[in-house]
Amino acid sequence: EPRQRGGLAGSLLGDLHYTREGVPVLIVGHHILYGKVVQLEKPFAVLVKRGAGEPGLEEPHARYTVTALIKTKLLFKTRPKPIITNVPKKV
Amino acid sequence: SLVIRGEKDEQAVLCSKDKTYDMKIADTSNMLLFIPGCKTPEQLNADQASCNIIHSQIAGFSNNYWELRRCRPKLKKLRKLLMEDPYEGPDSQKDRTLTFSKYTTEDLLSLIQASEEEILHQLQVIDACKIEGYWRVLEFDYEMKLLNHVTQLIDSESWPLSKVPLRTCLEELGSLEPKEMIEHILLSYGRKYTDNGEVYFEMHEDKICRAIAQMLLQNAVKFNLSEFQEVWQQSVPEGMTSRLDQLKGLALVDKTSRPETIFLLKVEDLPEDNQERFNSLFSIREKWTEVDITPYIEDLCAEKQTVGALLTKYARSSMQNGVKVYNSRRPIS
Repeated sequence: EPRQRGGLAGSLLGDLHYTREGVPVLIVGHHILYGKVVQLEKPFAVLVKRGAGEPGLEEPHARYTVTALIKTKLLFKTRPKPIITNVPKKV
Repeated sequence: SLVIRGEKDEQAVLCSKDKTYDMKIADTSNMLLFIPGCKTPEQLNADQASCNIIHSQIAGFSNNYWELRRCRPKLKKLRKLLMEDPYEGPDSQKDRTLTFSKYTTEDLLSLIQASEEEILHQLQVIDACKIEGYWRVLEFDYEMKLLNHVTQLIDSESWPLSKVPLRTCLEELGSLEPKEMIEHILLSYGRKYTDNGEVYFEMHEDKICRAIAQMLLQNAVKFNLSEFQEVWQQSVPEGMTSRLDQLKGLALVDKTSRPETIFLLKVEDLPEDNQERFNSLFSIREKWTEVDITPYIEDLCAEKQTVGALLTKYARSSMQNGVKVYNSRRPIS
């Protein structure tokens, strides 16, 4: 949820990195999440609704067009860890 | 493209051009964020040059998705709709103004929970035809009347059953019935082919015998089996042989009654849902052999399912007089 009002659109979510081993790392605010690349067993199809017509019309004839197929996902399921900056010890 | 079909009281299905799927909404515990063009580590490794920041947009997000499972198209309703107003022929006395239950292809596409190809295929299977733009099935008596015209003509002309000429049929019978109907009955009960530029039909002996059996059986609750077989053989066209195996899914023989009897039981009159179908079959007869029950359940099989698998799921087997029989898993009221 955004701190300020005005919705999420256009705001920055965070930074996505990959380690040398190919592990995805997501930094959101001052939290860090480690994830993994997962090939989807059953790919997702992204559907866009077309031709729905205005409400009140008899036959909307709505159709769904497949606009994309998603075969890979980056899964972040571990609890986010806060990033604590190094505080030098007082000597 | 895909279409969702279903009326308010039906469970929604998703249809492609030729397949039907049950739909369920599934929630995800993790939110799904869609990032078009997001690269995987492998893809980035291949492109060594870019060590810069790539600005990617999250195109959308979701907490749920639609889970699809291929299912049998729900076609029982198709027959039900077309049976609301079967075509009785041009001389029909039916009052036209009373009912208007006629359906175009578009109407059927919005009412039937199946893909377009599955619907069109089923229309062919049930021998429906388009009359004045509407899909119609023939009223049984009218259908038999048309069939009778054709079989009598085949007999009087002494044509071989495998070579019935379309042209002559239309010439000889065109004065009795509409030409479209004559051609339709030939298409329904025969296989069309051309030879030397002429159109012929190879008549389906089994289908004709089966229709005549239905005509005989629908007049009574049940028949003495041997009497029926005699009358049936006498009623089929010259050169055709009636056999009980032609009646699978249409009639059932009761071997336990003395004398043995036969009665009409049409698979298309039975429920479409698996459990309801089995309940219905077990209330008609308590124990079934696999041979007897197969014609009444094989249409329930999913893509790679066998009759055996259905029986394992919905019935319980036991031995009776050395024969394996199936009965209901639960008491039938």
